[in-house]
Amino acid sequence: MKKILVALLLVATLLLGCVSMAGCGDNNQEKFELGEGATYDGSEVELTFYHTMGANLRTVLDKYITKFNELYPNIKITHSQVGSYDDVRDKIATELTVGNQPNIAYCYPDHVALYNLAGAVVTLDELISSKAEVKRADGTTETLGFTDAQIDDFIDAYYQEGKEFEGGKMHTLPLSKSTEVLYYNKTFFDKHGLKVPTTWDEMEAVCKKILEIDPDCIPLGYDSEANWFITMTEQLKTPYTSATGDRFLFDTKENQAFVKRFAEWHKKGYVTTEEIYGSYTSGLFTNQKAGEARSYMCIGSSAGASYQRPTKDANGKYPFDVGITTIPQADASNKKVISQGPSLCIFNGTEQEVLASFLFVKYLTTNIEFQAEFSMTSGYVPVIESVADHPVYSQFIKNANGGDNITALSAKTCLEQKDAYFVSPAFNGSSEARDQVGQLLQYCMVQYKTAKDVDAMIDKAFKDAVAECEYMS
Amino acid sequence: MVENKHQWKAWIYLSPAIVLLLVFTVWPIINTLIMAFSENYSSLAGIGGQTFQFGIGNFEKVIQYKGFVTCLKNTMLLCVLTVPLSTILALLISVCLNAIKPFQKLLQTIYFLPYVTNSIAIGMVFAAMFNIVGNISSEEQIITTAGIINNFLGIFGVEPINWINAGSSYWANITVMVVYIVWNALPFKILILLGGLQSVNKQYYDAAKIDSTPKWRVLTKITVPLLSPMIAYVVITGFIGGFKEYSSIVGIFDVTMGPAGDAGRLNTMVGYIYDSIKNQQGRASAAALILFGIIFIVTMINLYVSKKKTHF
Amino acid sequence: MSNNSTLQVMQERDMHKVVVGQKIMKVVSQFFLYLFLFAVAFVILFPFYWMLISSVKTLDEYMLAIPTLFPKNFDFVNYVEAFNTANLGRLFGNTVFVGVVSTILSLVITVLSAFAFARLEFKGKNAMFAALLATMMIPGELFTITNYKTVNDFGWLNLEQYGFTVLIVPFLVSVFYIYLLKQNFMQIPNELYLAAKVDGTSDLKYLWKVMIPLALPTLISITILKMMGSWNTYMWPNLVADSEKYWLVTNGLRKFSAVDEGGQVDIPVQMAAVAIVSAPLFMVFLFLRKYIMKGVSRSGIKG
Repeated sequence: MKKILVALLLVATLLLGCVSMAGCGDNNQEKFELGEGATYDGSEVELTFYHTMGANLRTVLDKYITKFNELYPNIKITHSQVGSYDDVRDKIATELTVGNQPNIAYCYPDHVALYNLAGAVVTLDELISSKAEVKRADGTTETLGFTDAQIDDFIDAYYQEGKEFEGGKMHTLPLSKSTEVLYYNKTFFDKHGLKVPTTWDEMEAVCKKILEIDPDCIPLGYDSEANWFITMTEQLKTPYTSATGDRFLFDTKENQAFVKRFAEWHKKGYVTTEEIYGSYTSGLFTNQKAGEARSYMCIGSSAGASYQRPTKDANGKYPFDVGITTIPQADASNKKVISQGPSLCIFNGTEQEVLASFLFVKYLTTNIEFQAEFSMTSGYVPVIESVADHPVYSQFIKNANGGDNITALSAKTCLEQKDAYFVSPAFNGSSEARDQVGQLLQYCMVQYKTAKDVDAMIDKAFKDAVAECEYMS
Repeated sequence: MVENKHQWKAWIYLSPAIVLLLVFTVWPIINTLIMAFSENYSSLAGIGGQTFQFGIGNFEKVIQYKGFVTCLKNTMLLCVLTVPLSTILALLISVCLNAIKPFQKLLQTIYFLPYVTNSIAIGMVFAAMFNIVGNISSEEQIITTAGIINNFLGIFGVEPINWINAGSSYWANITVMVVYIVWNALPFKILILLGGLQSVNKQYYDAAKIDSTPKWRVLTKITVPLLSPMIAYVVITGFIGGFKEYSSIVGIFDVTMGPAGDAGRLNTMVGYIYDSIKNQQGRASAAALILFGIIFIVTMINLYVSKKKTHF
Repeated sequence: MSNNSTLQVMQERDMHKVVVGQKIMKVVSQFFLYLFLFAVAFVILFPFYWMLISSVKTLDEYMLAIPTLFPKNFDFVNYVEAFNTANLGRLFGNTVFVGVVSTILSLVITVLSAFAFARLEFKGKNAMFAALLATMMIPGELFTITNYKTVNDFGWLNLEQYGFTVLIVPFLVSVFYIYLLKQNFMQIPNELYLAAKVDGTSDLKYLWKVMIPLALPTLISITILKMMGSWNTYMWPNLVADSEKYWLVTNGLRKFSAVDEGGQVDIPVQMAAVAIVSAPLFMVFLFLRKYIMKGVSRSGIKG
């Protein structure tokens, strides 16, 4: 018995001995530095790529990996669908602790801010500006970096997104994008001679009119409160967050004012959201059942266009035609719509791995064929402008309509507003801020009807949200 | 001598479990301790080269959290309400099931089905049953559907109750959670208690049958005492699990842990840990240790009571 | 000992009672018994039914504000889609292998530990048991990073070399089951053990011949639960099994169509996938059920 106790004590002391080592940074990430004139030398490299693509998109990806391998047969790419965006983030965050991370991954800006705590994401500025030559298998060569024409070809706002980090360095490249658009019941609008709103004031007036026509409806459904809040701060040029200094700046009079306005809209029955309504706003928009509430406008993701289309009736016809347009604006000279959708980032690795990863990322983001096919399959929009001239893609856009080709109609609307895209700064805590402002708007909308002192209620909600952001980050 | 030999044997029997636990459970717990006492610990920042000072700052941070009391209250409340309720129900069901002949197999099979039912499905069916679809927080209420439960209650003239939607009351939320958690906990408890009942020597029952002892007395005087180790097990593990309640709330209210317009109202201790685990592992660990302290005390009380009440 | 005397007191007291109208009472009580059991069955059955009907709905129908309790038309496309996973055979094979190996090893460890706690006397037993219980009180999510580092240090992340080790070994010990079985063992009268000791039967033989048959229902329950665990686990395999060669059923099915291109989770397909995956488990349960319900009276042990 004593022996065992001694043995156990030994084990315990051994474990405690490791205590000082554990927990501390035992696996420091070696920050990648690009060597002078370094280039991919054609050696065998194995790359892993994490994403969230469904089966259809994976087929597209496989096709272009094969094409890429015709140029670079020694770069072997294994890609895997890890699950949702959160799954990708969580898996990589854990793998980083032992240096097991992939080479390339789908990312949102706040994921990159998280990985950057570990200094794990390769900054791309030097790679992009590199003039080094790379030999391809077919005998031709290409420049490692981007040419000026390639950079110009990117839709500028998408390209600039990669720099929305502390220090302003390029961390990501856009792969495919979506935004928010206004879906409206074109048949209904035409029938009653209503004008599709382009400003929030017009939106208010239209909602009022629609309620007069159909008192049992909720004129507008808005998918995401968080997007609504953030978009308003951009449109009104009021503060939201900052990547440097004081981070959570959104508690201002102007912001409180628009929250109050929308809360009042909700009270009047003009607007609802997915959370408040208790079901999908797209379902409310497409609902055709007699005696049930419906909406005539819906603001949601451009990538979800197919859900905004009503099901065909017995005659095989759509009960109404869907129109898609830009979301309302506050100021016609400062048009702003949110930019969403995956970007790609590259992780630390050996020099050849990073170079090969960059070549592949460059291939995906600048290849017109791939961008066109990927966009048509996914419902997202391409990130380079020259795709518009691609014969198949331009035909796809040309056939756009509010019925069978609604995906194309949505893409077309996105392409038309390419100068209005914005992204918010990404830092550690930016996703918390996003959650908080969404909940804040939702809270005020719900409480507005019963609150005794509305202004005090809104003011407190703002203060609480800022406090929560500061606590959580 | 004999005594000593036994000592060795016990440890040999336990050794595989101990070795594996040391590596895959105790070692992580030690790490949790270290993280809890490293100020503002974050594993990714650690890789990035940041160092952390020893201190109790994480604990202070946890206690200072304005939602801390809410988390603690919800955790305790759900635990105290659901564990006794689900145990008593499961016991009743198991005893009844054990007492019948026809349909026994069928019913037992049905009771097992939740195990092969996707947990997402279970959460969603529940949320859908209580969900009111409509704009109920605007002036002119528009209700698309009041949900299956409200429609059922409507037959008896009850006004639709706002169970889980925007503007619902705290106690309505808690009621739904209690029903859901009990429902979720039943199959496991039934399986365990039924297994336990099978191990109870039938001869005791035969004796009671000859004496024509009333059913109720058989239950309280024979069944419960003989089953007491299993009941103790179900209660103690029920409390341990109950204090870690999280996923069931997500199942109904999603990760916002509250009805629309009141996020975090139903947050629990583990909910807080989940929020912090991404890159505030120091705080998450400190909260886990606080939770551990609470569960430990409750379990010790439970064990003490069950020692006194358990039949063997 | 004490239970025998209680029983005797009870027998004596009740011996004299004669219940009149016993039969009527029996019929009435049986009625309420069945009413109660079927009501509970209905409530428990509902989510399962929901899963099945959801699995044949189109996404459009699934997303309706008022859910349909009976699908408008049965759309088995979801099943076809779920079935079309490239390597359903391999996924099943992997899962069965991991499930069976984990279950067997886990049962051995559990039985030995539970026996030590239930029947053997040793110094520090209570402290040891309390320590074991204490490990259950910390949320397991906090262990993930450390365990990931540990298996990396062991080299187990190289699955080509170590096979499924990393999927099996970290989860072999479950205090939950040790405790369960210990409680079950404690239901078995100690006299049997003492008698066996007098006969000179070895511990292991006694365990094998007496304890295990008596605790069979609980062991079967543990088997089912452990198997279910292997079948449902997602997080850890998703983290450690990078190569498709080592995926388990849940990984394969979740990866293949959990999220569609618009970012909408295609729940009907997911439900169909779960239904397919659960079917074999359900068979296993049907097969094992009779052992759960087999009473001790038949195993020929006299108390």
